[in-house]
Amino acid sequence: MVFTTALNFVRSRGPDEFWRKRKIFKLAAHFIGRRRNCYSIAIRNVHRALVYATKGRQLKKEDMANLWETRVRAGCEQHDIPYDTFKEGLTRCDILLNRKVLSELACWEPYTFKALTDVARRRAIDDGLKGATSSNDIDRILTRGSLNKT
Amino acid sequence: MGTLLRQIIVNCNNLSRLSIQSNLLKNVNSALLPLAVNKRYSNAPTPYEVVDRKSEEKSNQEVINKVNQLVKDEKTLKLFAVVHVAGKQFKITDGDVIVIEGYWPPTVGDKILLEKVLLAGGSDFTFIGRPVVQKGLVRVEATVIEKTVSHTKTHFRKKRRKQYMRINFYRIPHTYLRINRICINGEVNNPPEVRGLETAIF
Repeated sequence: MVFTTALNFVRSRGPDEFWRKRKIFKLAAHFIGRRRNCYSIAIRNVHRALVYATKGRQLKKEDMANLWETRVRAGCEQHDIPYDTFKEGLTRCDILLNRKVLSELACWEPYTFKALTDVARRRAIDDGLKGATSSNDIDRILTRGSLNKT
Repeated sequence: MGTLLRQIIVNCNNLSRLSIQSNLLKNVNSALLPLAVNKRYSNAPTPYEVVDRKSEEKSNQEVINKVNQLVKDEKTLKLFAVVHVAGKQFKITDGDVIVIEGYWPPTVGDKILLEKVLLAGGSDFTFIGRPVVQKGLVRVEATVIEKTVSHTKTHFRKKRRKQYMRINFYRIPHTYLRINRICINGEVNNPPEVRGLETAIF
């Protein structure tokens, strides 16, 4: 193709206008009102939507992490042990369950979760951590020093 | 009679849940360094108590025997396990399908054993690993049923009024893993003399 001026060259670049716009309209198909039918408005909103989608993937991970932590906190409250003491106690016992699994256990395996809180509390008492109070229940079951490595 | 029995079971549930770990996992070696104990101390004096080793061991042994008996009589109902696969922890049970994201070498049809079992339990007891339960005790069998990729994800960045716009597309490999069976092999707190050979192929 021969271009007499640079302007013509610029205007002729890219795929045909129809196909270029169709790409955007396809993404805007589920929008409401002029956003789906007017190109200049549609492209603005499509760009915004794509940016949100990109950022949203990270946000979803953060939200899930927050949700798990909330659930574990609730479980800890139920068994009367502060969350930080619980995590610290478990870590010191080399129990390396993550928050996702702990939250699932708190929801679906209440006995197991109670056992974990008892282990953490025993360890916290043995190590003299703050926020752990003794109860006869665990004294009967887990004895002093039994959670330390031998 | 029915209620009484139930109560007894519940009681021994708690007992078994708690005492096993302490004994069982003395056998598991850990390469972790001892944790620093210098954080968040309370001012309350540590209470002293006299520990009777013998009665302690006896009660622990009772619990372990109970669990062993349950396993022997095949009274362990559906078991669940927490396994560590490809950097993520999954709580699984028989028949589950889990999706492993990212590059993971096993191919379709491979039957594999998941060996990093962090926790396993049933209706009556739980093994808590420090950090993993005794190797070979819990057997988790799985099959790779599908290898595919995720839907196309669009990575789109744009800065307003700065003529900056980037778009990129990517897909993540997915591996679908069917959990065939979770069962308990061998005895609790009684590891074989030579360990590490349960799953070795000669």
